[in-house]
Amino acid sequence: MNRIALVAARELRAERRQPDGIVAATTFIAVLVLLESLVVGPVIARDADVAAALFWIALAFATILTTMRSFDRELEDDALDALVALPGGRDALFGGKVLALTAMLLLVAAVGGILSLVLLDLPLALPIHLAIVVLFGVVALPPVVIVDVILALRLRARAALVPILALPVLVPQLVAATRGASAALVGDDVGALSWAGLLFAFAVVYAVLGLTIVPAAIE
Amino acid sequence: MIETTLERGVGLRIRPWLGIAAAASFVVASFMALIWAPADAVQGEVYRIIYVHVPSAWLAYLAFVVVFLASVGWLWSRRPLFDAIAVASAEIGVLFTGLALVAGSIWAKPTWGVWWTWEPRLVTTAVMFVMYVGYLLLRGLSTDFQRRATRAAILGVILVIDVPIVHLSVLWANSLHQLPTVLRAAGGPALDSSMLLTLMVSVAAFTLVYAYFMSARVAIELVRQERLWIRT
Repeated sequence: MNRIALVAARELRAERRQPDGIVAATTFIAVLVLLESLVVGPVIARDADVAAALFWIALAFATILTTMRSFDRELEDDALDALVALPGGRDALFGGKVLALTAMLLLVAAVGGILSLVLLDLPLALPIHLAIVVLFGVVALPPVVIVDVILALRLRARAALVPILALPVLVPQLVAATRGASAALVGDDVGALSWAGLLFAFAVVYAVLGLTIVPAAIE
Repeated sequence: MIETTLERGVGLRIRPWLGIAAAASFVVASFMALIWAPADAVQGEVYRIIYVHVPSAWLAYLAFVVVFLASVGWLWSRRPLFDAIAVASAEIGVLFTGLALVAGSIWAKPTWGVWWTWEPRLVTTAVMFVMYVGYLLLRGLSTDFQRRATRAAILGVILVIDVPIVHLSVLWANSLHQLPTVLRAAGGPALDSSMLLTLMVSVAAFTLVYAYFMSARVAIELVRQERLWIRT
């Protein structure tokens, strides 16, 4: 647990010194929110289902961007081999990255979410429910993406391969997060909490799966 | 290496018989599907495409479960044969998934009025197809044998989660797709006995075709491993 916390703290420190992952992800979401309104028009963009779907698709891509940037940094600094060589380093690498990226993505989701609410003038019937859905939705994303980034590590065409591997696996999470956020926006409290529960289950399943099989994937 | 040669020898002896059995069963299945089985009371002749669509879908499930088992086998033992089985089964699974999607689409146009509709079974099957194309892509981009096999095996273990999701999607959500008619939780198959027999013969024929393809593809992969990877 200590090692996981150390890796997470190190990751957050590196991102604070050079916040290119968070900046890229936040800018990406902001651009997509603006584009949505311009492309489909303000009336359709205000629809809770449309806004929620676009937000979560954007956040999935933002997760891929941030995770790839995180591992690129390790490779640029030749830090990955040293980290993996430590006792328990592989588990710590996965766990630490999941924790740190979740924290970063919560920030990105908060900024992107506020931008969506303000710029699209979305109705917000259940703010606390929406916060719970966003929290569990964000927690459910990094374990899957980290596994896929590790599988594609040091491969050519990695930038194209990671979305191809990650997005189909993320479909259930994206559906649940979209339905949950949409339910919170329109005031369906039972729907929002049910989808949030499902997202939490996804997060637990993929985190356990990641901790079980990722050590074998890291060379 | 001796083991690999032995395995290839066994495969070589079985393959011609598998090919003959597959071809013969395919002829029988085609006769039963096109001539012997009666037309459907509601759908007429168009329903006959189920004799291609359903076996393709079932064989795709089987192929991806074999990928999963072979992936576990590789992670457990690091025997190259398991990696060869995994790649062979993944390729054949993608082929059968594509066939199921195309056959389903051809049936959907006269029955539902559209080639494609956004309903759970179709979407989850398309997602499964894309997932395993990604699996093959991952393999294609890796240059080191051990790493390629390990990465692919881990992905093969993860991706199998989609197989039960595809099968149960029609029960979990409101679906336009037909509910299970053969493997039903409540009671036996809801299908005329001659139609059921024809479907079972078609499934057997497709299974033999799968076994034949597997035998040929695994042999090719073992030779490729020996020449390209294991010697380097």
